[in-house]
Amino acid sequence: MTEVITENKQVTVVKSGNEMAAVAAKQINYHVMGFYPITPSTQIAETVDEMKANGEHDIKMIPGDGEHGAAGICYGAATGGGRVFNATSANGLLYSLEQLPVQSGTRFPMVLNVVTRSFSGPLDIKGDHSDLMTTLNMGWIILLAKDPQRGYDMNIIAVKIGEQEKVRLPVIVSSDGFFTSHQKRRVQYFENKETVQGFIGPFKAGNHALDAAHPVTIGPYMNEPDLINNKKQLSLAMAAAYEALPGIFEEYGKLSGRKYSMVETFELEDAEAALFILNSSFDTAKEAVIRLRKEGKKVGLLAANVLRPWPYHELISACKNLRALCVADRQDSFSGQGGNMTLELKATLQDDPQNRTRVFSRIYGLGGKDFYVGDAVALLNEALEVAVSGRVKNRYDYLGASSGDLNYQAESMLEPIPQAKSGLPENFNLVKDETTGITKVKGVNLRELTGMPKRVVSGHRACPGCGIFPNLNLFLKGISGNVVVLFQTGCAMVVTTGFPLTSFRVTYIHNLFQNGAATLSGLVEMFQEKKRRGEIPVDDDFTFIMVTGDGGQDIGMGPTIGTALRNHKMIILEYDNGGYMNTGYQMSFTTPFAAKTTTSHIGPAQHGKNFFHKDTAQIIAATNIPYVCTVAECNPLDYVKKAAKAQKYSSERGLVYVKAISACPLNWGDNPRLERRVIQAGVDCCFFPLYEVEEGITNITYDPEKLKKKTPVGDWLKMMGRTRHLIEPEYAQELEMFQDEVDRRWERLKARHEHSLL
Amino acid sequence: MSDLPVRDEYGFYEIRLESIGGLGANLAGKILAEAGILNLGFNGSSFSSYGSEKRGSPVKAFIRFCDSDCEVRINSPVTEPHLIAVFQENLKQILPVLMGMNDKTRVVVNTARTAPAARDFLEMPGGTLYCVDALKISREEKVKLNTTILGAVCRASGFLAKEALEQAISDTLGKKYAWLVPANLKAFNRGFEEVEILEVPDDGKYPFQPFRESPPRWGYGNAPIGGTITEIASTLRNDLSASREGLLPFFIRDNCTDCTLCESTCPDYCYVWREVEKDGRKTMVNTGINYQYCKGCLRCVDICPSQAIEARNESEVDTKKLSRVSIW
Repeated sequence: MTEVITENKQVTVVKSGNEMAAVAAKQINYHVMGFYPITPSTQIAETVDEMKANGEHDIKMIPGDGEHGAAGICYGAATGGGRVFNATSANGLLYSLEQLPVQSGTRFPMVLNVVTRSFSGPLDIKGDHSDLMTTLNMGWIILLAKDPQRGYDMNIIAVKIGEQEKVRLPVIVSSDGFFTSHQKRRVQYFENKETVQGFIGPFKAGNHALDAAHPVTIGPYMNEPDLINNKKQLSLAMAAAYEALPGIFEEYGKLSGRKYSMVETFELEDAEAALFILNSSFDTAKEAVIRLRKEGKKVGLLAANVLRPWPYHELISACKNLRALCVADRQDSFSGQGGNMTLELKATLQDDPQNRTRVFSRIYGLGGKDFYVGDAVALLNEALEVAVSGRVKNRYDYLGASSGDLNYQAESMLEPIPQAKSGLPENFNLVKDETTGITKVKGVNLRELTGMPKRVVSGHRACPGCGIFPNLNLFLKGISGNVVVLFQTGCAMVVTTGFPLTSFRVTYIHNLFQNGAATLSGLVEMFQEKKRRGEIPVDDDFTFIMVTGDGGQDIGMGPTIGTALRNHKMIILEYDNGGYMNTGYQMSFTTPFAAKTTTSHIGPAQHGKNFFHKDTAQIIAATNIPYVCTVAECNPLDYVKKAAKAQKYSSERGLVYVKAISACPLNWGDNPRLERRVIQAGVDCCFFPLYEVEEGITNITYDPEKLKKKTPVGDWLKMMGRTRHLIEPEYAQELEMFQDEVDRRWERLKARHEHSLL
Repeated sequence: MSDLPVRDEYGFYEIRLESIGGLGANLAGKILAEAGILNLGFNGSSFSSYGSEKRGSPVKAFIRFCDSDCEVRINSPVTEPHLIAVFQENLKQILPVLMGMNDKTRVVVNTARTAPAARDFLEMPGGTLYCVDALKISREEKVKLNTTILGAVCRASGFLAKEALEQAISDTLGKKYAWLVPANLKAFNRGFEEVEILEVPDDGKYPFQPFRESPPRWGYGNAPIGGTITEIASTLRNDLSASREGLLPFFIRDNCTDCTLCESTCPDYCYVWREVEKDGRKTMVNTGINYQYCKGCLRCVDICPSQAIEARNESEVDTKKLSRVSIW
């Protein structure tokens, strides 16, 4: 083994923090990566998946149904006694948060990359440390990676420290979202993965779940007086990590030439005033120190490279001679007089009776607001003032917040839609045929409906040719009266409501995309209850519509099923473009089989997505709600009629579920001008059949077979870059499996159509 | 060995690419960084302004170069670039694309205009202008815009060796799209050669715009709490014409049968319908396109069954004159 380690040559490349984390993961060759895409950490899973398709590693990649599921996958894998990896950000981290103390409390090491991002709401995809600081109390080791090089190095160090015999704790490696995760820099990595493997050593499992000779109980029920002892063990493990880390940094330094320390300083030795600032901003602030030093000002910088275990003694020692310290926190512990770093530093320095450092807090860079050299200069100058005066005038404040233009008068572009104009034409009616059980819709005239005011207006920022907006347009044409919409996170939400503008002319609510159905059920019930109490006029009415992508219906399937079983009077409209398009096309459960996505690459070692598309409409139909239907923009009249039925059922009976196929030219890899044809082909090949399930009775509303228009799925798949490879000879087997599955589902659907009891 | 022609106080030569999503500015930034760092021996960095990452939305890419032994420390955007490349000239109408430039800055712009006309269109105060018709070249070579513009950027830089960029283009595209390399190299070379250069006189015709962050109108002092937006339908203020990539739909009323298929397919709700009396009955008729919102996807061109909508080059259509105002 030593022979291999001496061959630790490094190569120089230009890569981002996310890419370097992926390179490290590949070389570590984790057993399992459980993940769920969320900006800005998604690229890690994408890059690891691409390497997998090229046969560069053996990591088993498992896409969760959400971050909570991904964390569960990771925990389960870790209990099996192997190396496990994950990456997440912001609300993804928060959604999985309850799993973090499970992982640490039962002492199964793994590595989680937290690519920092502000947590919602309002939803912001840029980097701050609000997500990271929620992990301080989770019992995980936390290493920081301030630049892409450390994105690689710390990921390797993480494995080594977490797996130490006396430690055995999970480890977070955290880099700044976008600033580090997406910035390409000159970086180095070991040419041979054996160098990395040699450094981390073979995995030594503790008690684990896959040893038939030694059955164990993992995660028992534990109250007092025992839990406190479990936590004491964890605290001792963290102390052991504190002891072990300097040696590991030393060892890694010898191997790589890059030696890290618990605490990092810059020009601090003789400094009178200093700035404590974490991760990427630390580097930016160095330029401010250089500038001020040229002016003869004694300023310096301080940062921690490790947050847990907390570098207590190092920080006390670093601040020994400081007269003033500005702690810049990229998050706030609202009204706690600072962010978490301020609080911890103040508490730490309090323990040193000799210390005379005056500490004050500045909250900066929230939501990814850029941090310029000038900002650092301002903070250091403030610290100098405190050093000179010995007094903190302003102990806690925000840097870079603006009060706004107080003279600005808001002006709406439009008035709310007048009630008289918001409906379907007078001759429109719905009549239920009692023999078939199917309601017929009459009097819908699409030309007349062009005069109906739009509830969602122009000026949104969707990609050219986006399918979401034709879907919204057609659906809302069938809806009369007042509407409240709730959009789950996704493209439709992001492109319509970039603050301070909105494309909505009706009331709109956003909630994160696992929880829209539950949220809207709450609103519906509030409406009913206020009406019952006489707090809302009896004549007032709303149609409540939740709009979601297929991604939202992966992570949000649970709350959707709950909403369906409770049968609230509302509509769910799902626009299904077969992927997580808002984050750059990761596979969703509805992505076509064998399609290529950024988390199901095609290559010699992998043939795209490896399971069939989810049949959401049938899953929902099984909850026995009053009305389920599928719609497509290529059949506009059918679309509007189904929308009208949806409104009727949601106002009279309960939950309605509408599923639309929705084009995404950017990620389907086709020409936006041809999308209507692509949608038509998807319907004609029966991948996306048009039908409804009305009070349990299935009715196919467009039968391509009867019309002699049914085509092989290949005719549709070849129209899109994401699936074009399926018509190549090497994919013949996948194509056949795909065709068989589509035909099988179609035959079953026809049987349901024929028999009202099915 | 190349040397940087000029450095700022931190030792950087800085480039800013002004583009819309989908034209490949991010990749161009990556190629520039790789050429400079791996092939020419500089140190540096490359990153983009990330937002919702939609095609057609404004995006910036930043590239920094410094000497090999200089540390890259700054993580904030490029504010005073030595070189600016404008991938989509219409961006000028919605964004201050030349902000932070000075009389030494070199500006590359993708335009079909002559250099003096482009100078006026951009309201460029000074510096040197490099005009390249990248849309035409890239269409002829059947490649994305970015490599053509890289050719002009290479020329304008004066220090990035052509071979280094050619190498970086080959390395980047070659991994997955080897068959696209020759056409892209040709486009790159045409971008390098087919530039019209104009030394813009510092004649005071247009003022230099120093970099500044514009404070939002809504702040903590006046914004409704919780981020709630109380002005409805306000994206109607947006002008999305910069999202178009050269083509747009042209409406021919005489051929139109008011079938509504265009209205059903348009993602940007651009078709303007009006109520008229026809044979004593009120009916809706299609009056044409609101070009303020049209992103040029051409869905309507493909769907129209009666040849009432054609695809035309944007430069051949007077969008201001023909644009219809939507009635909401």
